Amino acid sequence: MQALIIDDSRAMRSILRRIVTDLGWSTAEAGNGQEALDLLEGGHTPDLCLIDWNMPVMDGYTFVQRVRAEPRWRDVTLMMVTTESEHGQIVRALAAGAHEYVIKPFTGEAIIEKLGLLGLLDQEVPA
Amino acid sequence: MSILAPTPVDLEALVTDMWASFVGAPELLLPAAPPAEDVPLWSATVTVTGEWRGMVTVDLAEPAVLAVTRGMLGFGDDEDPDAASCADAVGELVNVVGGNVKSLMPGPSTLSLPVVSHGPVELPSEMTEATALHLTWQGAPVRVRVLTATPA
Repeated sequence: MQALIIDDSRAMRSILRRIVTDLGWSTAEAGNGQEALDLLEGGHTPDLCLIDWNMPVMDGYTFVQRVRAEPRWRDVTLMMVTTESEHGQIVRALAAGAHEYVIKPFTGEAIIEKLGLLGLLDQEVPA
Repeated sequence: MSILAPTPVDLEALVTDMWASFVGAPELLLPAAPPAEDVPLWSATVTVTGEWRGMVTVDLAEPAVLAVTRGMLGFGDDEDPDAASCADAVGELVNVVGGNVKSLMPGPSTLSLPVVSHGPVELPSEMTEATALHLTWQGAPVRVRVLTATPA
């Protein structure tokens, strides 16, 4: 399985990377929505995108809209991971096509639980 | 007219949660006196604009910044993080505190990207300190403040 981690904070990318690599996943990273779109356009097709909302250049909400507008990326699972926790914003993101929404701060267990709910943990977790 | 701001209890709960989730060190944040004026601090701020207007600041002394950065970015204990990594880690801390403070206040509103400085930050004169946490972590000062726009 492969995750694309999209966050302008290297620290946050590092935290998320450690969570998913501990599951045996490979990762790629982007510092904003546009960088992530460029990766997808270049043929990178992750199983999951972990997406911050507030980023320079292109925010995570716009990224979700752009991905969902492209049928070729319909199998990519989109999970918002953000400090944006107003109810209206959660509703907007889910309506735009995000599958899950995690509010920072989170624990690794919370991310893994969401991955399970999304059916992305079928493979054995390495010891 | 009263100033609407998160309570110290709310602020402490979210800072403690964030520390446990992201910094990952066993040492607790402990209450402390305000940092001395001559202690050099890293300062990070985010601004909230909209139905509620305010600013959140996180200030940390250098030893705390280095330890936080090691924890968040996965540096070894014997590695000295560079300034860009420190700014990134401290910026993410204030981003998380600011986003959660925003959610406690009336919305809708917008959260700015973090601004980080290695040194004191000049706060806008129209902002008044509404809530402050003075803490210590691993013996180093940590300060979290919420400022609100002064009512007209």
